[in-house]
Amino acid sequence: MPEDDEDQSPPSDLRSQPPCSPNKSRNCISSSSSQTFPDHVLENVLENVLQFLDSRCDRNAASLVCKLWWKVEGLTRSEVFIGNCYALSPARLTQRFKRVRSLLLKGKPRFADFNLMPPDWGANIAPWVSTMAKAYPWLEKVDLKRMFVTDDDLALLAESFPGFKELILVCCEGFGTSGIAVVANKCRKLKVLDLIESEVTDDEVDWVSCFPEDVTCLESLAFDCVEAPINFKALEGLVGRSPSLRKLRLNRFVSLEELRRLLLLGAPQLTSLGTGSFSRGDQSDEQGPPDYAAAFRACKSVVCLSGFRELMPEYLPAILPVCANLTSLNFSYANISPDMFKPIIHSCHKLQIFWALDSICDEGLQAVAATCKELRELRIFPFDPREDSEGPVSELGLQAISEGCRKLESLLYFCQRMTNAALIAMSHNCPELTVFRLCIMGRHRPDHVTGKAMDEGFGAIVKNCKKLTRLAVSGLLTDQAFRYMGEYGKLIRTLSVAFAGDSDMALRHVLEGCPRLQKLEIRDSPFGDVALRSGMHRYYNMRFVWMSACSLSMGCCKDVARAMPNLVVEVIGSDDDDENREFVETLYMYRSLDGPRKDAPQFVTIL
Amino acid sequence: MEGCPRSRETCPKLLDLIPQERKWYHDEEKNNSDQEKKLELRLAPPGGDEEDLSAMKKKKNLETRNNIKKEAEDKPIFNLSGNHFSPSNKTTYAPPHISHKRTAPGPVVGWPPVRSFRKNLASSSSSKLGNDQINKSGEGEKQVEPKREGMFVKINMDSVPIGRKVDLNAYSTYEQLSLAVDKLFRGLLAAQRDTSGGEGEEQPIIGLLNGKGEFTLTYEDNEGDKMLVGDVPWQMFVSSVKRLRVIKSSEISSALKFGCSKQRENEELKWLSGTSVCVEGSHSF
Repeated sequence: MPEDDEDQSPPSDLRSQPPCSPNKSRNCISSSSSQTFPDHVLENVLENVLQFLDSRCDRNAASLVCKLWWKVEGLTRSEVFIGNCYALSPARLTQRFKRVRSLLLKGKPRFADFNLMPPDWGANIAPWVSTMAKAYPWLEKVDLKRMFVTDDDLALLAESFPGFKELILVCCEGFGTSGIAVVANKCRKLKVLDLIESEVTDDEVDWVSCFPEDVTCLESLAFDCVEAPINFKALEGLVGRSPSLRKLRLNRFVSLEELRRLLLLGAPQLTSLGTGSFSRGDQSDEQGPPDYAAAFRACKSVVCLSGFRELMPEYLPAILPVCANLTSLNFSYANISPDMFKPIIHSCHKLQIFWALDSICDEGLQAVAATCKELRELRIFPFDPREDSEGPVSELGLQAISEGCRKLESLLYFCQRMTNAALIAMSHNCPELTVFRLCIMGRHRPDHVTGKAMDEGFGAIVKNCKKLTRLAVSGLLTDQAFRYMGEYGKLIRTLSVAFAGDSDMALRHVLEGCPRLQKLEIRDSPFGDVALRSGMHRYYNMRFVWMSACSLSMGCCKDVARAMPNLVVEVIGSDDDDENREFVETLYMYRSLDGPRKDAPQFVTIL
Repeated sequence: MEGCPRSRETCPKLLDLIPQERKWYHDEEKNNSDQEKKLELRLAPPGGDEEDLSAMKKKKNLETRNNIKKEAEDKPIFNLSGNHFSPSNKTTYAPPHISHKRTAPGPVVGWPPVRSFRKNLASSSSSKLGNDQINKSGEGEKQVEPKREGMFVKINMDSVPIGRKVDLNAYSTYEQLSLAVDKLFRGLLAAQRDTSGGEGEEQPIIGLLNGKGEFTLTYEDNEGDKMLVGDVPWQMFVSSVKRLRVIKSSEISSALKFGCSKQRENEELKWLSGTSVCVEGSHSF
């Protein structure tokens, strides 16, 4: 059975035709009846056909047809997505898939981002890199989310894959600028180096100078999360010799003046720009303030704008020349008042993705609603993320958005005050919603106008938004809200619950009523053993369940672990190791093909 | 469903366990009977007792609303629900967060759910430099160590622009450290030499401790002095070392002579401007 990627042509006795295109494969089939080795032909044909399947859902389906299809699909899958790095071992990956060029891997559960899990829990990339180094020397792309990556891992990666092209690290940690330097230096074919929302330690290494000195293949360089000064001269040089560069996201150590210089170099090609600090250093304005708007006028192709890490608002109007083209705008690090904001948003007619701080207030949201008719995704983050902060946005802003942005698909909204009426309105106005995440920051806050629980509002969302796949709830919620979720939330895959519900019934409604539920994360809610047991018919079909500060007993968790051998049930302790602890502090359980992991730290007990 | 038989067993126990002395916000008796009704309902198939549930819900909403108006906003009604099915008895034990809430509404770990790098925006205009690691923890949150439990010190090598880090806690002798240094830099050194027309073969880095090899391992201690590695007992070394440097053995005497901080500044400036650190011998430290 030919393993070679290049060998797409039919076996020698059919080689009356040149190497196959799909049409020709069909011809191959018709003449195969005289074949002496039909299996080989079928495999070759299948390979030719299956190589065109991209979607992993389609591939998963195809692999279930029969053993032959399973095998051939395994040979032709070039991109593998693993949603939980502990669901299988690296060895299993390399046994099943032989020609992987791209790996997408996710590690820690999302609640780890909010300090709900002690550090060093795991999700180490090391075993994956070392296994793939032997099995896939042709590997081109690695995309990691919430993994622990060390400098050594990056060094091994850089050494092991000569054709390596894309490194994307989202919400990762454990490495520093040394590791980045090694990648920059050794991966000569590097096209993409994207560090997104990752913790990168400052090793005082000039990694920008480590890129090869001749023309690079770089298409995307994002380092806005790197909290370390960079060598600007080297960066200028790098941009100058990267003709394919389309996306550049600078960190806050790049000043406005430096940004201007970079834009004069490479602006016309850029499609995505992260503007760095957007503030000036201590330079004297001898010749008057520089013309930053001119630099932005040169950005004819920019459709995605972000940065503004230390915004000096008086310079914000410089971006006006690009506003009309923008489809994506991220102001979520900029404390912008409504008055500064409105003139800018007024020009952004094509905007589809908009992230901002709540400093723009309800007034700013009204301006968005008036202008951004194409809006698909809105995220409003709190400038002051405390429970008792002011809260400049409320149901008024949400109502306005629902009326103005009818195509809205995804919402993340932090606020202090909300009403059921606004949610009900949104449920009717925005039928395309697939992601609805509302965080009322004060715990257990009811509808601030009626004083009622937020049940009806969330109920309307799950009932009327028929495409809803992701939901995060907050505010005062009784079991009724969960009853609605169980009844109407038939497509929900991800559910986040915090400080909500009254009893086990709430969780039962969800576990019994939501057949597509994959990811369930719950904290500080009164759900106990009865609720946990009620979901046992579901857990093998889910990616994970997280329950922290609930009312689960160790005995029940042990029962579940015993009853479900392919489920890894982790009990994660906290700092005070109280033996008399009645309830389990944190339960994190997930299905696994290869049993419990061997790298669990001391504070994790696997039942 | 697998869960059911067990729940039948446990429920009567729970009923017994709900003590009279538990505190509720409002009328205790009413609540206990609600309590029992609720438990009865849970034994029935899901979705079965619509009427009772809705009546209860109305009652609860009314009670809830009244309570909200009476109590300060932050005192959670959750207390009510928190006690429902916890089998704990007189000790009223609950996970730390819950008891914390009952007494005083203080900040809770990881709430609101905003990632740490989004948290110091309110004070960011003043903090330009690396204060972020301190700010990142936020109020009332667990202090997350940015690194693991290990003693990481930086280590640089002459003629290699890329520095590394070593965890000194991973070793207990100078020999082990020396081997680790070889492992760390062998490849990088070969790569450097390759570009200057060398063979490209990796040579092991040996003789770091005895002055006999091409390179020698030195360190800077907590007083800023440059020292040869290997002279003092290991533990003493670990407790005083701040930084390591692998220098060319030919430059030992000059390197150790010039140990002032000005040299360090110059060195760092050179790094930032992109030139290799291994320049004239007298400035190599």
